Amino acid sequence: MGLSTEDDFKQKIQDGYIVESREEMTEGYRKALIVQLTVQADTELMSAPAYWMAARYAPSTNTQVSAHAIIQDELAHANIAYRLLEDVGESKEQLVYGRQPHEFKHPYGFDQPLDNWADLVVANGFFDRAGITLLSDVYQNTSYGPLKRALVKVDMEETFHLRHGEVWMRRLARAGGEAKEIVQRSVDWMFPMTIEWFGLPDDLKRHSGQLEYKLKGLSNDQLRQVWMSSTVPLCEGLGLDVPAHFDSETEGYVLDYPFPCEYDDAEKRWVFEDGETTWDAVFKRWKGRGPMNEIYVESIQRSRGDVKGWLEGKPQA
Amino acid sequence: MLERVYDVFARKHRGDQLAHIGYVDALDDEMARVYAWKTYDEEHWFEMCVIRRTAIIPVNRQDGPFTGLTGEGE
Repeated sequence: MGLSTEDDFKQKIQDGYIVESREEMTEGYRKALIVQLTVQADTELMSAPAYWMAARYAPSTNTQVSAHAIIQDELAHANIAYRLLEDVGESKEQLVYGRQPHEFKHPYGFDQPLDNWADLVVANGFFDRAGITLLSDVYQNTSYGPLKRALVKVDMEETFHLRHGEVWMRRLARAGGEAKEIVQRSVDWMFPMTIEWFGLPDDLKRHSGQLEYKLKGLSNDQLRQVWMSSTVPLCEGLGLDVPAHFDSETEGYVLDYPFPCEYDDAEKRWVFEDGETTWDAVFKRWKGRGPMNEIYVESIQRSRGDVKGWLEGKPQA
Repeated sequence: MLERVYDVFARKHRGDQLAHIGYVDALDDEMARVYAWKTYDEEHWFEMCVIRRTAIIPVNRQDGPFTGLTGEGE
């Protein structure tokens, strides 16, 4: 098995081979899987502090319970993804506690503050929908057996998060007045944020091997369409404006704003009026990370050293 | 803090097969039980148990997580 060239291995996978162990992988496959799992794990992990800090806006004890149940799920999903990474040679300790905030690979959306209840439920409606869109595609297509099995649980629970988000978006939008205005403001910054999350358009996409190794099945643009095919009708049905519409000629969704474009994180506003920017500028913004990046990572890492020291009997400085 | 890998097995209903549903890292058996129960809470399991990965003896394969070559986390 170790003698397989990458091309032979890709062909074998395209013919339906399911990989079950590290020993069977080529180095190219292992690296591509590590990239994918790291993004998945980091995204689940960083959603937890984002949702946790927003849960304080929950309007009742019941909604507190729901919000914290979602956070608990996200942490479990992260834990499972890091566990899978250990099986292919990575260290969970290093990944969770040994990295600087800017080294995490989650999307820019989880570097942003969720400032009220509407932000939290739209994050559940939009970001968790993006999560399901990406992970359902992985579940249906992945050539890595352990990941496919792990995603059964993840998919089941993300569906609950999504339902929580959509039910609350409906409730706020139907109430009208200030409730609807505040949910509209959340939609205004989070819709383009999620669109961007799916990454480079297919015509610019660099060769990543993820499709050849069957680590996913759909392209970035196809996944973006899947997300919009649920999200745009949901928002339209609630009377919420979104900058995209269905085009009957191409039978797909079309964006009504310059894409990609710049984001003003201090104002929580997309700078549509400056027109289209370059993907290089977007990557630069992503790499610089957003306003909550250090706070979220610190909230995960802060107690590790102390407690570890106590347990190991080492006095702390 | 040296955590071990524990594999988690469960069956949803009386009469179902006991299936491998996942894994947790834990310092000891007691914590593994708690982590497994709290992590895999997506079903109302009829039965769940955990086993140290190092206690699993592979029968017919020389590769994979149960051979002790990978994923021990220690």
